[in-house]
Amino acid sequence: MSNLAKLTSIDRRWIFLLIGLGTLIPVLLPIGFPVRVTAPVKQIYDKIETLGPNDVVVLSYDYGPTTGAENDPMTDAILRHCFSHDVKVIALALYPLGGLTSLTASIDRITAEFPDLEYGVDYVNLGYKDGGQATMKLLAEDFSGAFPNDTHGTPLSNLPLMQQVKGARNAQFAISVATGIFGEWWANLINAQYGLPIAVGCTAVSAPKYYAYLEAGQMLGLIGGLKGASEYEQLVKDNYPNTREAYANPMLQTASKGMDVQTIDHLIIIAFIVIGNLAYFADRRAKRA
Amino acid sequence: MTGMELFGTWIAALLTLCLMSFLYKDNPLFRFAEALFAGVSLGYYIGITMDQTLRPNLFEPLRDSGLTLETGHLLFAGLVGLNLYTRYVPKIAWFARSSLAIYVGYYVGINMVQKLQGEVLPQAAATMVDLTGGGSPTDALNALVVFIGVLTVLIYFFFSVEHKGVFGKASRVGIWFLMLGFGAAFGYTVMGRISLLIGRINFLVIQWIGGTLQALGIGG
Repeated sequence: MSNLAKLTSIDRRWIFLLIGLGTLIPVLLPIGFPVRVTAPVKQIYDKIETLGPNDVVVLSYDYGPTTGAENDPMTDAILRHCFSHDVKVIALALYPLGGLTSLTASIDRITAEFPDLEYGVDYVNLGYKDGGQATMKLLAEDFSGAFPNDTHGTPLSNLPLMQQVKGARNAQFAISVATGIFGEWWANLINAQYGLPIAVGCTAVSAPKYYAYLEAGQMLGLIGGLKGASEYEQLVKDNYPNTREAYANPMLQTASKGMDVQTIDHLIIIAFIVIGNLAYFADRRAKRA
Repeated sequence: MTGMELFGTWIAALLTLCLMSFLYKDNPLFRFAEALFAGVSLGYYIGITMDQTLRPNLFEPLRDSGLTLETGHLLFAGLVGLNLYTRYVPKIAWFARSSLAIYVGYYVGINMVQKLQGEVLPQAAATMVDLTGGGSPTDALNALVVFIGVLTVLIYFFFSVEHKGVFGKASRVGIWFLMLGFGAAFGYTVMGRISLLIGRINFLVIQWIGGTLQALGIGG
């Protein structure tokens, strides 16, 4: 067996170790690879740019902490954009396993950067509701049918922002940051039945199927995985200088920093795929000989 | 970071390391962390459904307004839900089927319209494209790729005719389109998994080690 062919039986734990190092080193020593913004992400940014101070964006946290590494930078960047652009936000969670945790942590984290915001006027945290599509259909018609109170127990009738829009259908835009199927429901239920413009920020695993909705015009834009999140961060940083301080914080986990790791790890994986194929063909040739 | 937050961070960090230990080999620490995660997830789901859905949407309206015409439907929904648990009493287990029938009927109804109106028709319409591309060569090429891709993949999944001759060749082209789709999905899956690893490594480096050093007054 040639040296190359021996690589087919390499202990996979060496690959794990290399991937681990390829992740750890760029986290400790960021490289700062450039981020190129793609059209599906820019379309979401541009849509929010067209909104005014009385317009409302519904932001649905349809993910939990298990995919927070991918989804948190999306919701954080969208909130920073909306608040910097003076657009009102109604935030809610429909994902059962930690959606509320992600929602509350994100709202607390970002509103702390905007001390002038007033709860109930500029933004509302409706909390979590079980029921999936049934809840979604209800909140499209009337928020108070699904959410009698916000997450603090305040009746919606006491919140000025909730007097402005009866249901999600009356908002100007809705974004679902989702893991799994929730984003699809926003497209094939809310967009299809009420015509509300929808965008989805999804985990990378789900991105290929969401492109079908994007291409069919059922979604206005798509933030696919950490790459999409880094693009949105870039747009917000470039156009809103007030957000740069937050993104410069070394303690902050951002998608842009994560893309350094993605680049290094992808190079390692590509190298192993090439080596694995060469080793396979060398092994096959040796066996034939 | 407060003392309790630091304590929570340490628990999370140790559990993360327990789970990562599986990369070396299966071991009792991994199994403990895995079982704990599954149990905590279920407990969290039950707790959050009680607190965020049943309490504000069922218990409180019934408590505050009593049984009226406006709240009657809530009582009905509550009873339908409770009825599901009769399956644990063998003599009246068949009662539970009526609740299941209501749930299945409701979701079939909502899904039929949703799938047809929101998925089948718009997705089918998106494949019926103008092959000239409206004068743009790039759009024309894209339209041709969509046309050939949809047609050949549909042929691949059409099993009533033997896959040989022209039909077989078209089916082979369909396989190539499917492979391209799987390749894109695999690439995105790799990116997704690495993103999760980044999240954990960031947590260990920034929040666990960084937070502990900060609490000890080392390194600012």
